[in-house]
Amino acid sequence: MTYKTTILAALLAATALTGAQAADPIKIGVVTPLSGTYAGIGQQVRWGLELATKEVNASGGIAGRQVELIFEDEEANPAVAVQKADKLFQVNKVDFLTGTVNSGSTLAVGQVAERAGKLIATTVSFADSITTDKCSPNVFRVNARAGQQSSALAVWLSKEKPQANVFYLGPDYEMGRSTVAAFKSAAEKVGAKSTGEVFAPLDSKDYTQYFGQLRSARPQVLYTSVAGNDTVRLLTQMQEFGLLGNLTVVGASGTVTAQNLPAIGKAAEGFVTGVGYSAQIDTPENKKFVQAFQAATKSDPDLYGADSYGLIYAYKAAVEKAGDTETDKVRKAFEGLKWLTPQGEKTLRAGDHQAIQTMYVVRVTGGKFMTVGQVSGDDAIGPDACPRF
Amino acid sequence: MADALTRSMRASHVLVAILVVASLIFAAIGVVNGDTFYLRLGTEALIFAGLALSVDVLLGYTGLLSLGQALYFGLGAYISALVLMVTPSFWAAMGATFVATIAIGAIGGFIANRVRGVYFALITFGMAQVAAKVVYNARTLGASDGLIGVPIIKVDFGFAAISTASPAGFFLFTLAFIVILYALAAYLLDTPFGRLLIALKANERRVPFLGYDTVTPRLLAYVIAAVIAALSGALYPMLRGFVSPELLFFSTSGNAVITVVTGGVGTLVGALYGGILLTLMKSVIGSYTEHHLIVIGLLFMGAVIFLPRGLMGIVRPAIARILERRTKS
Repeated sequence: MTYKTTILAALLAATALTGAQAADPIKIGVVTPLSGTYAGIGQQVRWGLELATKEVNASGGIAGRQVELIFEDEEANPAVAVQKADKLFQVNKVDFLTGTVNSGSTLAVGQVAERAGKLIATTVSFADSITTDKCSPNVFRVNARAGQQSSALAVWLSKEKPQANVFYLGPDYEMGRSTVAAFKSAAEKVGAKSTGEVFAPLDSKDYTQYFGQLRSARPQVLYTSVAGNDTVRLLTQMQEFGLLGNLTVVGASGTVTAQNLPAIGKAAEGFVTGVGYSAQIDTPENKKFVQAFQAATKSDPDLYGADSYGLIYAYKAAVEKAGDTETDKVRKAFEGLKWLTPQGEKTLRAGDHQAIQTMYVVRVTGGKFMTVGQVSGDDAIGPDACPRF
Repeated sequence: MADALTRSMRASHVLVAILVVASLIFAAIGVVNGDTFYLRLGTEALIFAGLALSVDVLLGYTGLLSLGQALYFGLGAYISALVLMVTPSFWAAMGATFVATIAIGAIGGFIANRVRGVYFALITFGMAQVAAKVVYNARTLGASDGLIGVPIIKVDFGFAAISTASPAGFFLFTLAFIVILYALAAYLLDTPFGRLLIALKANERRVPFLGYDTVTPRLLAYVIAAVIAALSGALYPMLRGFVSPELLFFSTSGNAVITVVTGGVGTLVGALYGGILLTLMKSVIGSYTEHHLIVIGLLFMGAVIFLPRGLMGIVRPAIARILERRTKS
């Protein structure tokens, strides 16, 4: 008898509780690589999102509703990402989805979202196609795309070294060729002269065979988009041959990173690149963010962590403006949205769903990335090339 | 009186019938609950089961370990996607895939069948890697981004049409498609040609002494496996609406081999059960822990050590015995 009453009381209490909770939590699905090659990027995405969610929940949630993150591992494989996104939309009934890292996954998941009538945002993928020729009304990008990085760098270059002679050295595969082509057209637009280009196979052991060509072209600037250990070999071999003396080396944002910088050592000194975020940005918002991030994770935030952190605040602003999590209303609220992030104010352009933000130019000085300049968002963004809406 | 092989194949047929009944129940439950995700996951599992079936035709019958079946799976997926983006017709996509795969499979088979054993495994692996790299870098094929925007189509039978967007409809269609592929493979392997393949697996040097050619049957087996893989792959873009170069990567080929070994080599039905099991397990375990690959790896090791003849190694002999008792009584 007493047993029965306890159960009854518990049931009553439970119903009372659900009644008291005014609204269900807002669910955000995160499809991101948690295993494999890109697990490091996925980790930053996770930290950034979790930190922002904790802050938002502590200050009352989004429109009074708490935020819940649901993670799924996409293994950096679009086929897996699509399956996981389908699950989050259909089974977990998430309101919004983010986290995809490689561009193929973002494009494929964007299509899943379109068919499910939901919205997604990427905080990492930088292929231009996502917000240009393959844009989707259901996909937003809050991080800087490749074009923004290269135009920021080109604008900085035209100020520091006007009319410079530039030589290009890229890795010989599709992505390498397209990054070189993108920077070349951006640089030529602001007055640089191209003196030649060469493509080396991925994983080249010996770059010295290209040095003759490089020398005879007499460039003042070398642009390269090699990455990882290829950068280590290229720059150290150039240093051994004494080629770094009168040459400014600039490159893609993935060319010299915190991961390969120690291995390159002194040869990386003076390397310049354009990025959307640097932990050195000297604003009170960023200092507060870096401190909170370090306290929560014991590591420094990078580009991916900062962009993912900013996304939660963008979604909060959009949902509160829309008054609802309904797709069409949130899409309208996102379009033209201005919100504050550690990188300063960002604007989501209505025409192609690409975020416009201040870009930073960083140079390796004393083994560290130091900010040497910034380019305003409007100078770096380029025209709206989305044909679909 | 049927010989041992025919008897065990009959047991395989019974297991396929059980699978079909289970799938129909699953589809009915899915429709009642208005489910989308699990039906589509089931469809994907069946598609990858088709790939595993092609590996079993080579590994279980002809004794050739192919580490590059993803080449034909991806080939089918890309051809189907490209055709559908031009003309949204199921039959055009399947026809183009069929013809192209016979041509490319014959070339691939000609190259790969020049060598035996471990070299065959390596050369199939190499060919698939070359194809994957080419696709990964070909801008007309979408390069590393893959191709998105494959339209939703209607599979038109003249008297009825099934939309690929209907979760239950396309699931049942895929089930029928894969069962037909199974039936064709099982029939072919039961003919004298199939017995010749088994003879090749048992002892290739003795086959010529019995008066048979060895080169043509090997090539034919290779092309048949290529066609099965490609036709399964052609269903993929219809289900998911995109293709990406990852479909041609080694992980796809490797998973198919794991599937066949877990399910039971040389049983055909083992490939189907293994494929479904592996896809479902990856999805479910992956949602709980990011260390899902370790769990799958341990399960695979356990299966190899404790079930050397795969899952079907336990089930199938029992069913074969029941069938035998029935025919005797």
